[in-house]
Amino acid sequence: MQIDQQRERFTIPIGPQHPALKEPGHFRFTVDGEIVTDATVRLGYAHRGLEKLAEKQNWVQNIYLFERVCGICSHIHSTAYCLGVERLAGVAAPPRAQAIRTLVGELERIHSHLLWLGVSAHEAGFDTLFMFSWRDRETIMDLLEAFTGNRVNYSLNVLGGVKVDMTDELAKTVLAGLDFLEERTHHYLEVVSKDTSFLQRTRGVGVMTRHQAEVLGVVGPTARASGVTRDIRHEAPYAAYVDFPVRVVVDDRGDLEARFVVRMKELLESYRLVREILANLPDGDLTVRMPRRIKAGETVSRVEAPRGELLYFLKSNGTDTPERVHARTPTICNMASVVRLAVGHQLADVPLILAGIDPCFSCNDR
Amino acid sequence: MSTTEETLMLAREIAGAWDWATEVVQPEENRLDVYLKNPDDLVAIVTGLRVKRLGYLAAITGLDLGTEAGELEVLYHFCAGAAVITLRVRLNRQETAVASLSELIPSAEPYERELREMYGVTINGLVAPNYLYLPDDWPTGVYPMRRDFDPQSLLAGDGARTVTE
Repeated sequence: MQIDQQRERFTIPIGPQHPALKEPGHFRFTVDGEIVTDATVRLGYAHRGLEKLAEKQNWVQNIYLFERVCGICSHIHSTAYCLGVERLAGVAAPPRAQAIRTLVGELERIHSHLLWLGVSAHEAGFDTLFMFSWRDRETIMDLLEAFTGNRVNYSLNVLGGVKVDMTDELAKTVLAGLDFLEERTHHYLEVVSKDTSFLQRTRGVGVMTRHQAEVLGVVGPTARASGVTRDIRHEAPYAAYVDFPVRVVVDDRGDLEARFVVRMKELLESYRLVREILANLPDGDLTVRMPRRIKAGETVSRVEAPRGELLYFLKSNGTDTPERVHARTPTICNMASVVRLAVGHQLADVPLILAGIDPCFSCNDR
Repeated sequence: MSTTEETLMLAREIAGAWDWATEVVQPEENRLDVYLKNPDDLVAIVTGLRVKRLGYLAAITGLDLGTEAGELEVLYHFCAGAAVITLRVRLNRQETAVASLSELIPSAEPYERELREMYGVTINGLVAPNYLYLPDDWPTGVYPMRRDFDPQSLLAGDGARTVTE
């Protein structure tokens, strides 16, 4: 006697009011029992039409607009934009300004990675790590506030340079903060690579091979955790990365554990870079004069945001308003990997796989 | 591929294989613009880039050249190290159609969907029926990134959503 086993398949809609994340995204997971067999994503719930708005604002106003694409990596957005506009105008910001941009870029990366550690630990059910990492993140937030006056949206960049200068006194405070954070990061690195119950959630989960990573076009730490050596700071150094080269952190394992380890090691690398920049900060002016109207032309400006490669395409028609500003943010590249990687995993692993790419929905929904 | 110049040289070689169909311009030191005279050649040239393992598709940018020009332009940015190779295709505003790259390059899908929704470019061969960014009740035939988009049109008429007091 043959029994026809009819397998029932359910589609589970998750979001846009997301149970796991604080930002809106809509996912549909088709499950067979507990195993995900298909996944789709829908975005746009926080779309603000910034690229359209940019066509109506002048070049200066747009710095502040694009700084608000994302609340976590705001500085890198305005840096990418300013570097692009400066290149179009044929102007280069002075070395001291470039070093300060790089410095704040690294401080921002530290804050972003620590924030991500907390969010991911929370998704893994490890709330103690979440609380500790966010407590420590306050150190870097306080330093950023002391330096720029703001916790987020630092408003540091202007076209042709930066607004605030680093003083010796402040540099000492930053170094003291980094010493504390470095000690803590070594501890976190040990936790994410040794804690047995945590490793059960991360080791061998969401594995993305190097080949898959290249095909799916992932960027940033997500790609580097799969053995892809892709870091714009290294490949196409911008701002002061020519003078302060970065050592790219790569891990071949490709699972969630590797993504934790890569980001923790990148924190250590950022501390080293910040120290090096502070020790060798070039002297000189903070700004150069920029024309109001930007020469007609096009340029592509690429930088390494905390989540990966950020690409700006700028087109000027010779007026004080851009013809087109296109921002391709790293989460767009990485989001496709989530829907592919989720297939075959337990539904309960999906929140952590999603958190593993460090998703930023406001980056997606410019 | 070690340096930017070598990468751009290789890109020139590949574009040179279609020299009757392309025009190559180098606007910046690290960039190469390849203008395609016919959008139908896109897949062939992208295949050429893939075969030579030249870079990865970093972004697809849409441009509206205005109602007077009557054209849209689509830019496919391929990056390798510091080099950026941009394939540029011009499309008629009225009948925009370009082949999908998602068969060749799976990561092209989200970019193509964005292009389709924001600029109204028909992507032949793209399997993704619904919107990625726009809401379900977005009126058909209204493309927000086009120059002649009027936000007021969303407020009344033309099958658009109605605003109730």
